[in-house]
Amino acid sequence: MAAVTSKGHKFWNRALVGIVFVLLVIYLLPLYWISSTAFKPRSLATTVPPTVVFEPELTSFVKLFTSRVQMRGEVEPEVYQKAPWYEKRVFDSGERIIKDANGKLESSGYLSRFLNSIIIAVTSTFLAVAMGTLTAYGFSRFKLPGEQDWLFFILSTRMLPPVVVAIPMFLMYRTVGLVDTHIGLIILYTAFNLSFSVWLMKGFIDEIPIEYEEAALVDGYTRMQAFFKIVLPQAATGIAATAVFCFITAWNEYAFALMMTNSKAQTAPPFIPSQLGSGVTDWTVIAAGTFLFLVPVAIFTFVLRKHLLRGVTFGAIRK
Amino acid sequence: MSKKKWSGLLAGAVFALACSSAPAAEKLTILWAQWDPANYLQELVKDYEKQTGVTVKVETTPWPDFQTKAFREFAAKGDAYDLVVGDSQWLGAGSTGGHYVELTDFFKKHGVDKSMAPATVEGYAEYPKGSKHYWAVPLEGDATGWSYRKDWFDDPKEKAAFKKKYGYDLGVPKTWAHMRDIAEFFHRPSEKRYGIAIYTDNSYDALVMGYENVLFGYGGDLGDYKTYKVKGIIDSKTAVDALKFYKELYKYTPPGWGKVFFLEDNQAITEGLASMSMNFFAFFPALTNPATNKNAKVTGYFANPEGPTGKRFAALGGQGISIIKYSKKQDQAMKFLEWFIKDDVQQKWAELGGYTCSAKVLQSENFRKATPYNQAFYETMFMVKDFWAVPEYAELLDSMNKRLHPFIVGNKGSAEEALAGVANDWDKTFRKAGLLK
Amino acid sequence: MLARLDPGSASARRGLSDIAIRNLFIIPTIVFLIVFNIFPLIYSLGYSFTDFRASGSAPANFIGLQNYRELLADEYIWNNFTITAKYVLVSVGGQVLVGFGVALLLNRKIPAKGLVTTLLLLPMMMSMAVVGLFWQLLYSPSWGIINYVLGLEDFGWLSNADVALYAVALTDIWMWSPFVMLLSLAGLSAIPQHLYEAAAIDRATRWYTFTRITLPLVTPLLLIAIIFRTMEAFKTFDLAFIMTSMESTELIAIRLYKMAFQEWQTGKSCAMAYVVLIMVLAITNIYVKYLNQAKAR
Repeated sequence: MAAVTSKGHKFWNRALVGIVFVLLVIYLLPLYWISSTAFKPRSLATTVPPTVVFEPELTSFVKLFTSRVQMRGEVEPEVYQKAPWYEKRVFDSGERIIKDANGKLESSGYLSRFLNSIIIAVTSTFLAVAMGTLTAYGFSRFKLPGEQDWLFFILSTRMLPPVVVAIPMFLMYRTVGLVDTHIGLIILYTAFNLSFSVWLMKGFIDEIPIEYEEAALVDGYTRMQAFFKIVLPQAATGIAATAVFCFITAWNEYAFALMMTNSKAQTAPPFIPSQLGSGVTDWTVIAAGTFLFLVPVAIFTFVLRKHLLRGVTFGAIRK
Repeated sequence: MSKKKWSGLLAGAVFALACSSAPAAEKLTILWAQWDPANYLQELVKDYEKQTGVTVKVETTPWPDFQTKAFREFAAKGDAYDLVVGDSQWLGAGSTGGHYVELTDFFKKHGVDKSMAPATVEGYAEYPKGSKHYWAVPLEGDATGWSYRKDWFDDPKEKAAFKKKYGYDLGVPKTWAHMRDIAEFFHRPSEKRYGIAIYTDNSYDALVMGYENVLFGYGGDLGDYKTYKVKGIIDSKTAVDALKFYKELYKYTPPGWGKVFFLEDNQAITEGLASMSMNFFAFFPALTNPATNKNAKVTGYFANPEGPTGKRFAALGGQGISIIKYSKKQDQAMKFLEWFIKDDVQQKWAELGGYTCSAKVLQSENFRKATPYNQAFYETMFMVKDFWAVPEYAELLDSMNKRLHPFIVGNKGSAEEALAGVANDWDKTFRKAGLLK
Repeated sequence: MLARLDPGSASARRGLSDIAIRNLFIIPTIVFLIVFNIFPLIYSLGYSFTDFRASGSAPANFIGLQNYRELLADEYIWNNFTITAKYVLVSVGGQVLVGFGVALLLNRKIPAKGLVTTLLLLPMMMSMAVVGLFWQLLYSPSWGIINYVLGLEDFGWLSNADVALYAVALTDIWMWSPFVMLLSLAGLSAIPQHLYEAAAIDRATRWYTFTRITLPLVTPLLLIAIIFRTMEAFKTFDLAFIMTSMESTELIAIRLYKMAFQEWQTGKSCAMAYVVLIMVLAITNIYVKYLNQAKAR
């Protein structure tokens, strides 16, 4: 609707842009609240009335990366004096960092879980999008006996409530030795995302006019070349959107991440809520964990933003 | 993204996979929930490692998923864990399901049934009740008690006003009726001060534990533990009165108190919301520390009050440690338990913050004075009573939640209807399980 | 709109044949999905006719259709379904309204559009569990920001039997509207500009343009978004389970979870899963029919 030029329309356009920004602010308020909680001291996270202005601090991030225990009394002054700043911060909030026999601080495991999350989410997203795009193209462009049924079958793999498949899936994984492995979760998330990926990509590829490929075939391209050189660039928006959604799903999956792992391949989502604490509620640490965990997806999406917004028919080849 | 980048990532993934299979040394793995006692246990076992060279790893998982994770491993007969610190209600499923190694001989040989407080042996180790068959070593004793605001209670003005209104002195409640009065007295929504914090979460056992405190204190019971008869017991007049009473307490809770458990109840004290708060003793350490509780200096603790007939009980929490049948290191695990029940280890366990069940340690002057709440804990450990521990316990819990929560929180139906419903459901469940003929 | 090539048509003789390409593209995915899902499906179906408990070691007894009979006679379960239906309607409806509305607003020249879109997508980038926890904090009558901003003193959003379900749905709408928005936006930007230009020349009203051009052309992608949101809303567990536990918020997935993992009635829960599966299948089937009709236009 860019073709409007009259003054009245211009005003309306500005007003609507204004509304978008107002909505954006309202929309982001809860998110601001989560992020700001990450920088609050624990005692300010739940005050009556809520605290809006405060001095930001990094205590919650120190806590997020270390393994801690609630202290019953105050710390001895000599110990406190000798402690480095970050340990002091933890002391200040009534906890102490657990140390191993050599006095080394024990990590909470967040970092390794974070890395696991990256490996698993990236790989499974790549697989789901790649397979999904190929399959969607196949369904979109070729005839296949019973294709509606096959498509519906693919869709239906996402319908069974996960709670019920958890036990058989676990038994299956145990038998083939995939429990607590990265590859196990990668396969799992690829399977989860495939139905979505196929359907969404089919939706996008269906929109790409078939004439482009036909023209290319006439020009001497092979079908494969036409697919890679013409269809894929056209489908960039779809691929970007699918990738973003698949990544988000794999990145945040909770139930199976918990069921299918013990220690080595654990991802971060089940860990974050557990930081709520077992004595007094500590919103700051979950907020810190959530905040850091948002960064990679946000970057991933931001990097793909141009493709997301480019539209389907942009960059069409000249006929 | 370019192909090179992707293949780089893939290579990284493959590398990570290759690294993820470490060789198994002499190592025992214990599964427990993620909370401070598990951290204390991890610190305790460092001594064992020093003495024997066997590494003991306490693997933890968040509370809400603890049960799921343990039982999926049992269901698969997996050996990922050698020992589990399981909830008291799991005993039935663990023993009859064949997941736990029977420890009866171990108990006899080492006199564990004598050295641990009797109520804990009954609650955490024995199944079926009274059978003298044991399946776990009591590890973390726990039960519900109360924290309260000493400063509010000791305020002379409040004392005078209370005396005038109720005709007796304001102090730590001796009976449940007193507790009601105090809750009502301090319930002042306009001042953002409320009477009492109780458990209301119905997603697992919180609400039921809260109600049990009153039910047992009133002289009621969940049923006959030997014959599994429930009709006429759980829906008796006593039980109905106890439920009505619990609902009355709910009236004096802070706003939005419809799904709360230990965290919120502690928060009621730290944020100055309530005058008294129900909680498991395991969660009290955070309240004694000024850094986590700005009211720490003015927070006191007491054990459950008496019911109308002078009976006094507390709902049992806590866990025993069991050896998993599918572990390939059962001998090693047995040796670990032998070490764990030693007096000096139990002493150290208590010092680190664990709630020992060792009668000797519990009775010692040292222990009872160690924290402001240990005395109340000691008193409580001799009057604990548990929920059903049959394999069907979760069904029983669920039906009770389903009937009680709408009545207490949702203000739906009557106490009589709610409990008649429970009796009906339970009767059906026990018959179906073949326990009730 | 959709013309298709017959495999083996004369236009594509070079390289791999069309049939080979089709098989190469489709078969691995289908085989993978079958292999991956077949065991869990058969396992659940098989045990749905037994009294099996995965928590014990007692062998499963075949009890025929008893599980199904018990489920269909259970008043609570019907209640769970009604609640779920309400929840799906409100939350998916809300997501479509908000998501599509925002997409319409965004479908113009806007400063820093990429950034704005990314920011709008942030809510759905968090895990349901975390979102549930934080909204619980936001809704808290004592220290939540919502009541503070709105000036509602002691109103307990999540402990009020009449409101709790909608409070959860509101959170879901907040979280997932961006999903609908992004797909709608992709659909909107695919609409060829010349159609609008033609409509402007014909002096068509905005309403006419919207209902005759915009809506039909966005429908295929929008419907895909709705299908997936409906399926997910039907399965909603973490969010509602964490935020509240009123009788009026016990969604079918929560009941299922309790049955499967707290009570360990494995057999019965499998039966229930199949009941749910059939319902979701039926609903999705209707959607897919609509989708195909929309595409055929």
